Amino acid sequence: MNETIPIVHVVDDDASFLTAISRLLRANGFSVKTYLSAQEFLTQRDADAPGCVLADLRMPQMDGLDLQSALAQTRNPLPILFLTGHGDIPSAVRAMHGGAEDFLEKRAPKERLLDAVKRALARDAGERGARERQRELRARFDTLTERELEVLSHVVRGRLNKQIAGDLNIHERTVKLHRTAITTKLKVQSVAELIRLTQEAGIFPEPVRTFPKGQ
Amino acid sequence: MTSFSRKPHFGGLHEIQRSGGLASEGVSSGNGNWTAFAGAAVLALVHCGFHWNQDRLILQNWKTRAPARPATCGAGIVLEKRYSGPTSKSILRTIQMSRITIIWSMSASACLTLAGINFLFWCRNRKTWANLLFSLTATSTAAFAFCELCMMLADTPAEFVTVLKWGHVAVWLLVVSLVWFVWLYLKAGRLWLAWTACGLRTLALLLNFLTGQNLNYRAITHLAHIRLLGESVAIPEGVPNPWMLVGQLSLVAWLIFTADASVTAWRRGDRHPALTVGGSIVFFALVSSIQSLFVFWGIVRAPISASLFFTGMVAVMGYELGGEMLRASQLDRKLRESEAGLHEIEERMRLAVEAADFGVLIRDFTRNEMWASDRWRALFGFSETERLELQQVLQRIHPEDRDALDLVLERARSGYGVYDTTFRAVLPSGEVRWVAARGRVEFDGAGKPAFARSVSQDITRQKKAEEETRNLRRDITHLDRVSMMGQLASALAHEINQPLGAILRNAEAAELFLQDASPDLEEIRAILADIRKDNQRAGNVIDRMRALLKRQNLDKRPVDVGELVGEVVALVRSEAVSRHIKLEVTVAEPLPPACGDVVHLQQVLLNLIVNGMDALDEVDPGDRRVGVAASLDGPQTIEIAVSDSGHGIPADKLTRIFDPFFTTKASGLGMGLAISRTIIEAHNGRLWAENRNEGGASFRFTLPIAEKDAAK
Repeated sequence: MNETIPIVHVVDDDASFLTAISRLLRANGFSVKTYLSAQEFLTQRDADAPGCVLADLRMPQMDGLDLQSALAQTRNPLPILFLTGHGDIPSAVRAMHGGAEDFLEKRAPKERLLDAVKRALARDAGERGARERQRELRARFDTLTERELEVLSHVVRGRLNKQIAGDLNIHERTVKLHRTAITTKLKVQSVAELIRLTQEAGIFPEPVRTFPKGQ
Repeated sequence: MTSFSRKPHFGGLHEIQRSGGLASEGVSSGNGNWTAFAGAAVLALVHCGFHWNQDRLILQNWKTRAPARPATCGAGIVLEKRYSGPTSKSILRTIQMSRITIIWSMSASACLTLAGINFLFWCRNRKTWANLLFSLTATSTAAFAFCELCMMLADTPAEFVTVLKWGHVAVWLLVVSLVWFVWLYLKAGRLWLAWTACGLRTLALLLNFLTGQNLNYRAITHLAHIRLLGESVAIPEGVPNPWMLVGQLSLVAWLIFTADASVTAWRRGDRHPALTVGGSIVFFALVSSIQSLFVFWGIVRAPISASLFFTGMVAVMGYELGGEMLRASQLDRKLRESEAGLHEIEERMRLAVEAADFGVLIRDFTRNEMWASDRWRALFGFSETERLELQQVLQRIHPEDRDALDLVLERARSGYGVYDTTFRAVLPSGEVRWVAARGRVEFDGAGKPAFARSVSQDITRQKKAEEETRNLRRDITHLDRVSMMGQLASALAHEINQPLGAILRNAEAAELFLQDASPDLEEIRAILADIRKDNQRAGNVIDRMRALLKRQNLDKRPVDVGELVGEVVALVRSEAVSRHIKLEVTVAEPLPPACGDVVHLQQVLLNLIVNGMDALDEVDPGDRRVGVAASLDGPQTIEIAVSDSGHGIPADKLTRIFDPFFTTKASGLGMGLAISRTIIEAHNGRLWAENRNEGGASFRFTLPIAEKDAAK
């Protein structure tokens, strides 16, 4: 986990506007980084740093919507706010469908702009927390052996030890040993807590899912 | 009271006696045949037709001369004296006329008739001197015929002498009139020969009265009688006058003159009159001269019968002149007809001139006078009776057009000859009219202007229509620009919002900075500079739009082509960006300025670029390109090409795309290219479309290079 100050990334091909908005955001206490094109942002940004993106919708080569979909593919999908000189409805709809935080005119009131940025940062922080907890849970589950995971899958389905032993063709006592190991490794007190944790980690609907290692 | 009696007479001849009616108191004189001749001459033509068969004609003679020798009259003439009654004092005499009398009378009357006709012709038209001369010739021939008749019927030598003497007057007249007739009619002959012939004849006439008894005889001793046509006629015997040679010499001179004149006319090509007039005169004059020569020298015993030959001559000439008169009358009729035709043409011309509403002005430079038709006067506001003065006419020309008109007229007067111009006329009422005038100057022999003729037409309505069309075209062009701006509205709003947004954000930032206890003044200064810069940017966009939206006429100036292209590309850049179109601009360096109106040319370029971008909608975003290229095309022309990487234009639409209201777009008036072409043509350039080999279409137009002087 990397607890750094969130950064507002501003992407616009208009250098003058870029300077102006970064001044305003800085004056309001934000940490700002500016980029003259989408490609520049994608290559230069700190891959895991918290923050949000303010991008001009209309840019040569790669425009705001392109940037949005490219960003979604990364493991640090920062929330994105669109700016436009003159908003047109089709673009706005597409942007919101793609999960945009907001869609603002360049001359939108300062308060709306600042609120939107704050909201985006909060969302980023929230999503980042959720992503952090999940990563921690997955780390816990990662300590389970193949056999323990197999037993766990039967447990969360509500099977009795005797039934599990029958299904797996092992001794009932062995099942009990596995269950003790599971509860110890996952630091849970009850079966109910075990089930909740398993659901939270989202393990069994997709049993083959692999978790990224490290970090 | 008239009674006719028929009785047998010698020779089986009848005589018709007529008494009463015509009888009146006679005048006694020694020349009874004179009146018989005169009466016969008048009536012969009338009566000969039906009395010829009767062989003789008996007339009642109121003259009271008794026949001296009834016996000698022989079969020819029967004279009978009878008293109409015991109380009557008048003496009736009947003369039975002979063949001789009839022949000579008829020839004389024929001559007189021709003389009368020609004399009347001359009276009507005093310029036909040939007819008067011919009339004199014919009259003198008739007179001489009368003299001959008298001589043949003379009773005494004295009578014969007198008649012959006066007969020479007729001969003189005959010769002189014929000489000048030939001179006039054939327009040939030697003048000295003519004067010689006339002079000799005059001399002969003088000698006729001064020497001997007459020109031919010193003295006539007695009259002999011979038989002619079964009658007894008198012939003279005496001593010939040697001075007669002068007369015969004059005849020779006359013959030579006539022959010479005829030959000249013949050689000149007037063969017909030379042959008929000249030939007949020479022939008949020669024959009659020879005949009289023999008679007067006493070689042949025959009466003088020259008048018969002369009559033949007169007949031929009369025939010739009659033909002339007939031709003249035909010509006259034709002239009348053509005059009627001319009148008709004149009427038609007048109708045409009136229908076309032409005013006619004629100026006489030598007399310094002007004449104008009513229509012209109405056009320039002159009354129909007002006298036209040059100064007044010039006053009616619009002051702004006066100098130009002077130049045009001066050019025409100084030798160019024609002019065709338009100007404004200002009427006294203050009304202004447009006038088209077309004229021609005629020059005299010395090359000075003599006349100027011109037609003028009121073209005010036409001018107004032209102006309206021009305004309409301007409005449509303007509308096209407005609609194009509409298409670009979103892109332009973006273009303006960009700097406005920057200004807003900068201002807000500055406010926050100023809330600091120790504000960063350096930063605030930078912010203000940026605000100024962005304001300028937004202003530029608005200026560009406003220039294009302005309604204006064509105002040609030198135009920097690079700047022109740059301005338009700036307007469409934002639109191009949003449509993922790459704009490629190549302007050759150095490029001379073009001659044109910036706004109109921007409109054309904008239109072509927007069209090019529209053609790329179905092309993959990575391949959307619009190129604008400007380069020199020859020494006097700049070519600007707008190319796209679209699918090109179908061959069947390549020419039609410039037609008004032809469009391939869902939303579009189809006026853009039509207007663009009109604008480029107004710049003396050309606009056309072609498909590129590498795909896509290319629209190209040419512009003339601005003159060097104008560029300064």
